[in-house]
Amino acid sequence: MTDKSNDPVAIWQNMIGEMEKGFNTVANHAMASPEFSKVVNQVGGVAAGAQKQLGDLMEKYLVTMNLPSRAQMVSMAERLQSIEGQLNEIKALLHQVRSNSGGLEGGYPATPKPPRTKRPPSADGEQK
Amino acid sequence: MNGPPGLDLAAIPERIQSEVQRAIQRSIKGVEYFSSSGPSLGLTPKDILHVRGTMNLYHYWPVADEIYRVPILIVMATTNRGYILDMVPGQSFIEFLLKRGYDVYMLDWTAPKPEEKSLRMEDYVLDFIPDCVRRVQQDSGETELTVIGYCFGGVLSLLYGSIFADGPMKNLICFTTPVDFREMKLFQNFSDRRYFDLDRLIDSVGNVPPEMILSSFEMLRPASRAASQVQLWENIWNDEYVKSYRMFDRWATDTLPLAGEYFRAITKDLMWDNKLYNDTMSVGGRPADIAKIKVPILHAVAEHDHIVPYDAAKPLIQKIGSTDKEEVILKGGHVSLVAGANAVKRLWPKLDSWLGGRST
Repeated sequence: MTDKSNDPVAIWQNMIGEMEKGFNTVANHAMASPEFSKVVNQVGGVAAGAQKQLGDLMEKYLVTMNLPSRAQMVSMAERLQSIEGQLNEIKALLHQVRSNSGGLEGGYPATPKPPRTKRPPSADGEQK
Repeated sequence: MNGPPGLDLAAIPERIQSEVQRAIQRSIKGVEYFSSSGPSLGLTPKDILHVRGTMNLYHYWPVADEIYRVPILIVMATTNRGYILDMVPGQSFIEFLLKRGYDVYMLDWTAPKPEEKSLRMEDYVLDFIPDCVRRVQQDSGETELTVIGYCFGGVLSLLYGSIFADGPMKNLICFTTPVDFREMKLFQNFSDRRYFDLDRLIDSVGNVPPEMILSSFEMLRPASRAASQVQLWENIWNDEYVKSYRMFDRWATDTLPLAGEYFRAITKDLMWDNKLYNDTMSVGGRPADIAKIKVPILHAVAEHDHIVPYDAAKPLIQKIGSTDKEEVILKGGHVSLVAGANAVKRLWPKLDSWLGGRST
């Protein structure tokens, strides 16, 4: 077989790895400058403001088109989440009742909780 | 015929054949990749004990016949989903803990809703965590518990532990948790107070969008996404590689938004004023000095962590008040420290050997 230094695939993979490292190092160096921070935050601030305005505009457009807006969908998702939450509460309560009663009448016995008696293994690997 | 030194000309046809086969496999598997979903994640059986807004408390079903007395509460980072600790069988930290006989609970987060933009640091530290602690106590019947915090979940755990220093936390484990925020140099520069109009951002967007959080993480290594795509294409014939890539890629891009007021507090108190390191941090008017924490602590940090550099995490062990304290530096990065093949071999067994004796 060819050794790594002459294997074109290995050379290619190594080159990609080195390029990644090199680019990251150069970029990190550039990103550490105050000028970078200034530019990024100016652009970011403008983008955030524009995103907010676009969102408001889209909301009005959807109302005009008689379509549900994102806020309405989010509100619906919240209601679903709330129902899910209540179902989970009921499930937890049922679980508790089942544990307390030692199983539902005529049903499967409740899974007993394992005892909290475990000790760490000793140095020779045996359970204490 | 002689070639360059180290080159075996007789092996070239075999090598070409192998590459052609891989190229064919790439085409077939490439189609499969785009037409199928990734592996299902976070499937270790659990009960959802409590859901309130952005907060979810899970209890994983014990699998051992006998479990340690002290339950574990994992506090996940608020920027990411908890399934990083429960990928697939064989690569799940949760599954590992359950098999080793621990009783495991997790405080995981969902995206805060627009009306939750007013959640503050005190909601997380003085309400959500104590609420979960109470529920773990009720469910397990035990007063004491071990808290494990990952990344910013570690910061929240430190704040909780310093304010509630009298208990019930028995042990604390932090994974790659920053304390000296000056040392997160690129994040420092991104949020330079001379140019970063924090108030304007929060006032205009409410919650900080996940795209912004993800971009700030990706900007730390701007070439890595493109390089990983190239590596994926090269290895797309390899099912195990693709499975692993999809798991981690899905998790990494599944970033959560951050509640606006909470982000404001993180930026002002930690990034700008470095209050945790300067011992001037307070939450809801209550001093949060980590020197007050006296419980046994293990801090696991990664040698090549580009998100929380070692210099940012190092002061934790120096500043904490515990006498039983240990820092362990392991090979790997911010994510591979806790999940994946390296974690299986390095962090998990270390954690088990440290925690077992302290969980009785």
